[in-house]
Amino acid sequence: MPGYHRAELSVELKLVPSPTGEEAPREQVEAAKQAASGSGLAREAGPETTVLAGDRAEVLEALVEAIRASLDAGVRTIEVKVEAEAEAERFD
Amino acid sequence: MTRTQTTPTLVTRERPKAPASTPGRIGESTIRSDGVPKVRGEFEYSSDLWMNGMLWGATLRSPHPHANIWSLDTSEAEAMPGVYAVLTHEDVPGRKVYGMEIPDQPVLAWERVRYQGEPIAIVAADHPETARRALDRISVEYEVLEPVTDAEEAMSESAPKLHLSGNVLRHVRIEHGDPAATADVVVTGEYEIGMQDHAFLGPESGLAVPDEEGGVDLYISTQWLHIDRDQVAESLGLDPGMVRLTLSGVGGAFGGREDLSMQIHACLLALHTSRPVKMVYNREESFFGHVHRHPAKMRYEHGATSDGRLVYVRARLIFDGGAYASSSNAVCLNAATFACGPYDVPHAEIDSYMLYTNNPPCGAMRGFGAVQACFAHESQMDELAQALGMDPVELRIENAIEPGMRFPFGQEVPPPAPVAELLERVSAVPMPEEKEVVGRDLRELPGGVSNVTHGEGVERGVGYALGFKNIGFSAGFDDYSTARVTLSVEDDEPLARVHTAAAEVGQGLITVQAQIARTELGIEKVVVLPADTRVGSAGSSSASRQTYMTGAAVKMACEAVREHLFERVREEFGEDPGDLFLEDGRVVSGGHGIVVLLTELIGGEEIEELVEFHHKETIPLDEKGQGDAHVQFAFAAHRAVVEVDTELGLVRVVEIASAQDVGKAMNPQALEGQIEGGIAQGLGLALMEEIQIGEGKVLNASFTDYLIPTILDMPPVRAEILELADPEAPYGLKGVGEPPTIASTPAIVAALRDATGRKLSRVPVKPDQIVGLAKKPPDRPLQPGSRGPQGEES
Repeated sequence: MPGYHRAELSVELKLVPSPTGEEAPREQVEAAKQAASGSGLAREAGPETTVLAGDRAEVLEALVEAIRASLDAGVRTIEVKVEAEAEAERFD
Repeated sequence: MTRTQTTPTLVTRERPKAPASTPGRIGESTIRSDGVPKVRGEFEYSSDLWMNGMLWGATLRSPHPHANIWSLDTSEAEAMPGVYAVLTHEDVPGRKVYGMEIPDQPVLAWERVRYQGEPIAIVAADHPETARRALDRISVEYEVLEPVTDAEEAMSESAPKLHLSGNVLRHVRIEHGDPAATADVVVTGEYEIGMQDHAFLGPESGLAVPDEEGGVDLYISTQWLHIDRDQVAESLGLDPGMVRLTLSGVGGAFGGREDLSMQIHACLLALHTSRPVKMVYNREESFFGHVHRHPAKMRYEHGATSDGRLVYVRARLIFDGGAYASSSNAVCLNAATFACGPYDVPHAEIDSYMLYTNNPPCGAMRGFGAVQACFAHESQMDELAQALGMDPVELRIENAIEPGMRFPFGQEVPPPAPVAELLERVSAVPMPEEKEVVGRDLRELPGGVSNVTHGEGVERGVGYALGFKNIGFSAGFDDYSTARVTLSVEDDEPLARVHTAAAEVGQGLITVQAQIARTELGIEKVVVLPADTRVGSAGSSSASRQTYMTGAAVKMACEAVREHLFERVREEFGEDPGDLFLEDGRVVSGGHGIVVLLTELIGGEEIEELVEFHHKETIPLDEKGQGDAHVQFAFAAHRAVVEVDTELGLVRVVEIASAQDVGKAMNPQALEGQIEGGIAQGLGLALMEEIQIGEGKVLNASFTDYLIPTILDMPPVRAEILELADPEAPYGLKGVGEPPTIASTPAIVAALRDATGRKLSRVPVKPDQIVGLAKKPPDRPLQPGSRGPQGEES
């Protein structure tokens, strides 16, 4: 029984680490991923990509936290893609 | 009913000719068009696909269940003559992860691998051996990490986090009635189920063909074409319309083809090389190429009154989901909702947990969460009967759930639910003759012609079990199927063409679609076209749903065609459409007899209707685990008779008696096949089928070492079939594929307990458990309040 695409809101964050940052690029990405993981909504979707999926309010809250942590880690560019699921209320 | 339009698109390979089905209407045993070719070895499976100029794909897989990838060098492989492409995660143009419920599984791994066999790189070459050698030239530098291999340990705070959101993939809790309920008699038990494989005979395989316009055709054996297409397109970064899938010959599925295996890989290679690419896993690779049944550890406490009425059930179910999500979310839900069995339980507390580990990913398999729970709740019912001094059949009948009652998850039990009747019927089946053991044909003794016993030490046992299963997709999923039916005249005969995307996986779906069309349109000649994505989704051939869902869609499309014909008869002949019916290729009026031949009415036209059938709405469980989560329930009862060589632990299952409510036997012969096949898989789980895992590594990835029942292991099956119509289902039918698998396992184990007096709390039951040599699983102390084991643990 699939529950594909069932989150109300999905946000994909693609981090572009800064080559001149204090931390190594991999560590910048790792710090940002760990910050996102605290929300319980995150999953990895690529080497530099993290997806936050869940209810609208909690995703937006987690998004701000993830961006803040990413910037603190030295990341200077973050690509954000937001997708809303129109029929999400039918899924758990 | 919803009507939709689809647009045929170009295809890159000639389609196989659709077989005309032999005559047969609903309720008649109808010979399957694929049956004889399969038996003769003439059937074209997806592994037989061939195209001139095609390349062969191969997959580099991780040898480690848990490791960091520090470097990946493909240059040496790329330089090999005959190698056309070597691709890694960097070559995935779209989404780099996939998954039916949660897209968490890498198409090709980057940085970390989470299970043994995880794909890291793919190769296309002009010969399969060249491709295999190229894999050897790919250099991967790993940092091997300690694998997390125990689901309960994965829950602990100290366990390494395998995914960003932690190791608990899902927790479903059901609270029903009074959590502090007490009872006169209490029994507790801990049960364990091993990792079963689908063991389908046709390994994962398919052929991807680029269309020279940036799109791709994929010829594939799968259970759900459209969900494959959507995931493939997303990872290829293509519009779904540019990815077209056609079902190829499927060599069994049982849930193991719901997830993707080589689909994205073959398409990536085909688009990269502009050549057709075929991929075929060998048997060993197949064990790493699909998910398996979830292993589970289940702790139960049952309370009952002294006269045998259930008071409460408390259960904690721990499932090992392996490295990635697959359909584990839904399995966790199913197990929770079926945890108490088909019984009237006034109070219940159920916790069902699904964990990520570094074991092979687990997902859909016939029975889907109900199998694990059934082994535990039926073992508990036998324990309770023993504690109460009651007959186990009597205890079950006393507590059998009935229509109008509520399941512990709050849903009202819909009719028909003949739980007690099924058990009464199966227990009324005459017992098989018990021949004198001394002097018997060796084939009728445990161990067979291995000549290990001539009757000494052989004990007979009898066991019963009840099981049930939801039919169709649940918990709010908008489940539907699409069908297009076209009626025309060919060779002076009316001909119906039925087109759906429903996957024939060996269950007889093509035949039943033809039976429905023949019945509804009153004609003989029906062609079921190959399933593909040129028509709308049919959903998956799983959850025992396809005859219900696609059968209903075909029925509705035929009805729409029929309405069209009757309207024309009204216009041309002035007949009342309400008085008309179709019979033997004619339109007949109840009052005036034959009105017109269909061939005359249709002439040179084609009458086409395209419909979607949606089943009734379901809803997700709320925070207390309550809700109308399921569409339909199917029940089955089994009685197993076994003989055990108590000295060597060898088992012969003498007979399985079965009683199952099917609503309507659409094709009785195929139904018997489903019942016997399901029981074979249940027998396998009871006695022999288990993927052995050591430190996250599969130890028996072959049919030499992973045992499945053969014809010598299968006993005679005596099946009682009840046809109690479900008023909400097409033709009153119920899904039939899964119930036989669910209760057969606990019935066999109950019979083993009866024969040996041992507790036998883990399946598959191995000979060393039967003779008492096995270590005692589980090794944790029992819960407070436990009565303790009644017999010797094994």
